[in-house]
Amino acid sequence: MSIYFAFARSAFMTQLAYRNEVWANMIGKLVQVFARVAIWIAIYGSTASIAGVSLKQMVTYALLGGAVTGAIRYESIISGIGQALRTGDVAVWLLKPASFPLYVLATELGRAAFRFVILVVPTVAVVAAVYGMLPPASPFHGVMFVAYGLLAYTIIALLSALFGLVAFWLLTSFSLEWMMQAILNLLSGQLIPFWFFPAQVAAVAAHLPFAWIVYYPSAVWLGRLDATETLAYFGLGLGWAALLAVGVALLWRMASTRIVVQGG
Amino acid sequence: MAEIIEARGVSKRFRQHRRFPGFLGALKTLVTAEYTEVEAVSDVSFAIAQGEAVGYLGPNGAGKSTMIKMMTGILVPSAGDITVLGRTPHRERQANAREIGVVFGQRSQLWWDLPVVDSFELHREIYAIPRPRFDANLKSLSQLLELESFLERAVRQLSLGQRMRAEIVMALLHDPKILFLDEPTIGLDVVAKDAVRKFLSRVNRERGTTIILTTHDLQDIEEICPRLIMVDHSRLIFDGETAKLRSALGSARRLMLEFASDPGPLELKAARLTSDDGLRKHYLLERDDISLVQVLDEIGDTTQLKDISVEEPNIEEVIRTFYQRRNAELPAR
Repeated sequence: MSIYFAFARSAFMTQLAYRNEVWANMIGKLVQVFARVAIWIAIYGSTASIAGVSLKQMVTYALLGGAVTGAIRYESIISGIGQALRTGDVAVWLLKPASFPLYVLATELGRAAFRFVILVVPTVAVVAAVYGMLPPASPFHGVMFVAYGLLAYTIIALLSALFGLVAFWLLTSFSLEWMMQAILNLLSGQLIPFWFFPAQVAAVAAHLPFAWIVYYPSAVWLGRLDATETLAYFGLGLGWAALLAVGVALLWRMASTRIVVQGG
Repeated sequence: MAEIIEARGVSKRFRQHRRFPGFLGALKTLVTAEYTEVEAVSDVSFAIAQGEAVGYLGPNGAGKSTMIKMMTGILVPSAGDITVLGRTPHRERQANAREIGVVFGQRSQLWWDLPVVDSFELHREIYAIPRPRFDANLKSLSQLLELESFLERAVRQLSLGQRMRAEIVMALLHDPKILFLDEPTIGLDVVAKDAVRKFLSRVNRERGTTIILTTHDLQDIEEICPRLIMVDHSRLIFDGETAKLRSALGSARRLMLEFASDPGPLELKAARLTSDDGLRKHYLLERDDISLVQVLDEIGDTTQLKDISVEEPNIEEVIRTFYQRRNAELPAR
């Protein structure tokens, strides 16, 4: 396991080499977060609450919602796997006593950790200082938010790896990146929280794995789930993560035997 | 000497989706499932002993890389079997991977964004190399290939020659018993090629690492590999000492006779006249068992003979003659 930690650490360090990119990203991120918050302020206008959610809560939701998707680049997991399979560079990995999908995931999580510290935390802090942000509903919700956050990274990384492996058969990863983006925008609750969805749609969306990427972590922070619900949905999220991990392992086995038997 | 690699009747066929030309053809390609079979390796057998350095030679598309990929476990043979260090490579790919080193001339295994030494560190983690052994190997290998000056530089900033040297060092850090190199000198300049060749033959001599090397460059083989395996059109056509390739493929030595005064046309039984400039006559000695003495005997009067020289054809010429003859014999292919 220490190998994968080493991969993550070296990816983290590598990011430091691109200083200009860090600054450009930070400015971009700030604008993006400001825009998201500004939209909600405009929507609320002078209304105190919509569907039982106050503007303060909505701003907090918008700020937290970007925490996971702002740090991880799912598209680089998808295109990383897709490209390695297509160009045959994956052969190099078949020669090493280490797993290629785990390498890709560890690397991207290392980068995500870097972006979290350097990009996400400062931008959220700046915007929160300007518009204000609610604290977690209770210490329990605060602790569970951290746990949900880690689960969110795991799920988005596994989902991206799954999409990336599908690229091996479709021979294109670009369209998959777009698809993933569209799905995430809608079904993770990133653009619009589920409480604004029609009831039936919300019920379906709340049980798909995407919901654990944005909706649940933010909802837990805001205390919209009570203690039992918080734990129950965490268990369900773990179940999804396990299922996705099995899916990634299976697809990887199919892809690598295909390479080994038929040639890249 | 124990045999550490054995290939017995190995073949590899690839199935390729048949494509039809043109726009309508492209549409047709989408819906049809016709395949053509290409045989990249046909019925190849050889055995390689511990400590050997073997050159695997052949023109483009002769199945060299495919063979390397089968020996390293990335590809499964369609027929026949391969044993490397007592294992079937593709069944025990990771166990095999720990004991072999592989260098692809056209594919980098270093981490593009990292300093060379960081790539080596990751390699240490992947192969779980004990620290003292890693440090000792890194020191001696990078000294030999003169990596010290750019160990701290990011791989993307290296020249091709520097990168190749780093790739080779990395492949040796875990003390592999066998080192596979697929075209390690491709694209390198003369100096870098020379450094790589000297290094590889030293590794083979001093560390006893078995080396299997594919190349287009015959000089690689002459300098590194006492043994040569040659393939062509997926088949093995020669396996033996590099020095014996000439007699095996039947390339002729060249004989030049220079006379003080023109003796006129001089046909010999022992050698075939190829050009006659009067004073200088060029012959081909087509049979190996003919000695110079026989030639001189046949000339008889050697008083007018001023100079005589016999040239061994170089390996490149041997192979060129071979291909030319083969192409003449097989016009259909």
